Amino acid sequence: MAEKKDVLQGTLALMILKTLEALGPLHGYGIARRIEQTSGDLLSLNYGTLYPALLKLEQEGSISAEWGVSDNNRKAKYYKLTRAGHRELERETREWHETAAILQRFLAASEER
Amino acid sequence: MSTPLVFFRAAFLRFINLFRKQKLDHELSAELDAHLQFHIEDNLRAGMLAVEARRRALLKLGGLEPTKENYRDHRGFPFLESIIQDIRFALRMLSKSLPFTVASVLATALGVGLNVGIFSVLNGATLRLLPIPRAEQVVSVNQIFHRRTIRNTHGETSMFSYAEYVDYRDQNHVFTGLAAYEPFLEATLAGGKTRQLLGAATSCNYFDVLSEHPAQGRGFVDTDCAAPGESAVIVVSDGLWRDTFASDSSLVGKRIVLNRTAFTVVGIARPEFTGTEPIPNTFWVPVTMQESLEPGRDRLADKNLSWLALLGRTRPGVSIKRVRADLEVIAGRIDQQNPGRATSLAIRTATFFGSPEEREFLLPVASVVLAAFGLVLLIACANVANLLLVRASIRRKEIAMRLSIGASRWRLVRQLLTESLLLSLFGGVLGSLLAFWSFTSIMQFVTSHLPRTFSTLAVNVAPDMRVLAYALALTFFTGIAFGLIPALQSSRLDLNTALKGDGARSGRGGKSGQFLRNVLVGAQIAVCMILLLAAGLLLRGLYHAQTVDLGFQMKGVTTTFLNLMSQGYDENRATAFTRSLRERIAGLPGVTEVAQAECAPLSHDFSADNFTVPGRADKVAIEYNHVSPEYFPVVGIPIVRGRSFRPGESHDAPVIIVTESTAQRLWPGVDPLGKTLREATGREYSVIGVAKDAQVSHLGDLNTNYLYFPSGSEDNLRTYVLVRFAGSFVATAKGIHDAVLSLDVEMPVEVTKLEDYLEVWRSPSRIVVALSAALGALALLLASIGVYAMVSYTVNQRVREIGIRMALGADSAEVKSLVLLQAMRPVVIGGLTGVVGCAAVSWMLSSMLFGLGPRDPIAFITVPALLLAVALLASYIPARRAAKVDPMVSLRYE
Repeated sequence: MAEKKDVLQGTLALMILKTLEALGPLHGYGIARRIEQTSGDLLSLNYGTLYPALLKLEQEGSISAEWGVSDNNRKAKYYKLTRAGHRELERETREWHETAAILQRFLAASEER
Repeated sequence: MSTPLVFFRAAFLRFINLFRKQKLDHELSAELDAHLQFHIEDNLRAGMLAVEARRRALLKLGGLEPTKENYRDHRGFPFLESIIQDIRFALRMLSKSLPFTVASVLATALGVGLNVGIFSVLNGATLRLLPIPRAEQVVSVNQIFHRRTIRNTHGETSMFSYAEYVDYRDQNHVFTGLAAYEPFLEATLAGGKTRQLLGAATSCNYFDVLSEHPAQGRGFVDTDCAAPGESAVIVVSDGLWRDTFASDSSLVGKRIVLNRTAFTVVGIARPEFTGTEPIPNTFWVPVTMQESLEPGRDRLADKNLSWLALLGRTRPGVSIKRVRADLEVIAGRIDQQNPGRATSLAIRTATFFGSPEEREFLLPVASVVLAAFGLVLLIACANVANLLLVRASIRRKEIAMRLSIGASRWRLVRQLLTESLLLSLFGGVLGSLLAFWSFTSIMQFVTSHLPRTFSTLAVNVAPDMRVLAYALALTFFTGIAFGLIPALQSSRLDLNTALKGDGARSGRGGKSGQFLRNVLVGAQIAVCMILLLAAGLLLRGLYHAQTVDLGFQMKGVTTTFLNLMSQGYDENRATAFTRSLRERIAGLPGVTEVAQAECAPLSHDFSADNFTVPGRADKVAIEYNHVSPEYFPVVGIPIVRGRSFRPGESHDAPVIIVTESTAQRLWPGVDPLGKTLREATGREYSVIGVAKDAQVSHLGDLNTNYLYFPSGSEDNLRTYVLVRFAGSFVATAKGIHDAVLSLDVEMPVEVTKLEDYLEVWRSPSRIVVALSAALGALALLLASIGVYAMVSYTVNQRVREIGIRMALGADSAEVKSLVLLQAMRPVVIGGLTGVVGCAAVSWMLSSMLFGLGPRDPIAFITVPALLLAVALLASYIPARRAAKVDPMVSLRYE
């Protein structure tokens, strides 16, 4: 198995938001699994770090949470994107693309030399 | 996510979460529980065994408890929460040992309360702005002369002449208005009962500049100051209106007579406004009316007379710096017009006691007072620190336990400091409340014991922001001061011995802790010694002043001051008045002799001048008095050589009488009779007699140069009439009183005993004695509690050692003396330090010792003896307990 990457600082929130946009309301474990799967199991996510990140997003108003029942009848806390969360996701996506583009150009320029 | 709104939303939710802990903890548990179940189910589906599935799930989560902990840190404010936790814990610990808590809180309350109280007094006296609207815009202006200039002064030298005032008023660009006033103007109110009033003569913009509008009528208008003596209008204070005019609703528009001039009342001031000086004014007249109230003294015309205080209201946005720059241009211009003159200006936001002279006097006094009160706080701090140290050693086990299970030292220090800060907070709040509540009445008590002139100081001691800030800062520093060292000390533990529960009891119960406790006790004793010695010295000084031979006879003499000049008398009328008055008084039954003097003995009236001794270059400052021949027999000063003045011998005759010590200083070893002294005017006087030394000018001071001139007719304008009588004072006083009124029914007259002047001299020292004795007593109480606590703690710590000693044959007397000796060591060292410290600074009290040496042996022996006795008693009680230790019980104890 290839060496797993740690989650880059500050990107976890973006991943959570994107996951919730794609899948709709989801509980913590579901979000964690989805992030790992999407990364092709290349990311090593410490599940415990997910919950403070969820709390922070909730406090900032990007997501909201409520208790629901899962497919196999288990009570769980479900998170979903708020309208502010949609805007925040757009903004962070754009910023991420910009940052990536800058880094891309920078690396390309360095390679040319 | 960085907009402020989002930030505040998050912070708000976090704050809310502080109060929903249990519910949130519960939810978190449920959520993580669900998470684990999902994961375990997935793992089982992947074919793991149940145990392995759970292990993997937990591992992936990063452990249940750490995850919860991490989550909680993001939920509220962990730092705040831990502080709240600290406070809760501290409160629990404090309520557990209530006697300790009460003792510490009371000691702190005492220390902080005293200091806050005295600060609120000083604040009211010197820092508070004037009680007028928008006082922060009003600045006081004073001038300071740099070269030696000859300057006439009425009040303080830093004040201004009228011409100078007009220059500053008309040429400045920084004030919306500049007002001037003569601060203290005495006048007699005629009609019914004559009354002496203290008022001010002000420029006619005075009320406008201060934005102070009289409650009834008006202030002054420019036309009131148009010409000298033209506009006799007056504004009276609310107090005068109520007391003397019985709140007469039609007083405005009526005429009242002051010093023989009729003034029309145009206004009555607001009750809150008593002028801009600490001693309240009861009336205000236009400055142009000054000569009507002080006949024969035309101050307006004297360009070289300092007599007006200046207050200016700055234009909006003008800084003090700009005021100074602008006014200094004017000062420079005045300097140019007066060659040889160099002045600079002192400009401050106006307060009471704002002039350079007053501040020069007040600042050292205030710092000595603050230092004395600070010392008591220091004792209280040392006391509480000692208690904390004792407590810390009782809590050694608890502290060691917490250290050994991983608490950091910083965390422990924080916890212990939280406790001491809580203690100081309780003490500080209690003390401040007591101070705010009691100092107004204490102030009244103190001022009512001051000489009458000071009795109504308009000092506002109510707390303001500055006092509250001071109280808070003091409380905080107190908590740190008594908490820090014990906290650092007790968090540095040898875990092994402490946990074994042995260290605290065995001989090595913290050598450095014992040392620290000794130092603290020693410091308390030293500080207490200084305060008590000061009190003792002052008390001795008072006694000295009461018993010392003044060199003259105070008993059986009445004194009456007559200011005929202020009542419009000229020299001829005054001479006629005093001549017939003396005849009438001499005819009263019981009166033996009547004399006149320019200055009555110890009346705080002084005259001094520079004289030259022919044949010598230097000038000698000599105090003098103008006296009638009867003065010497009336006050009982014998003429020891030569002769006294003859009847009819006046100031025209070039004769003087000098005192014995003056003669010895000026002409040592030579017969002074016939020697001459030259006045600054060039006039020479020859010595015709030598009088015995007497403390007529300053109480307790025999070493001032002093001489007597014969009085002349000009002395009758302002004169003391001294009467020696044999009968009752009341009858004599009434006789003199009636004699004055029979000559002039409107003449203000007050007859007092000559001894009454002594009170004026003694009362400042009496107040300081009361103050320092009270402080010293509190200090003694605190220090003896400190000694007692330390000794009983040591005895408790050493029960086993004492038991062993006794088992080995030591008797109870030996044990007692052992404990006492060890207890006395810090006391003696501290006491000696205090004695040396006090001996080094006691000269500062000289002016209140009335000639007693500042190292008076009686005070320096009795006070330390008293302190030592109290300390011995405080340590004897626990020492006796030590002697009663039963060796069997104490050895079985552990």
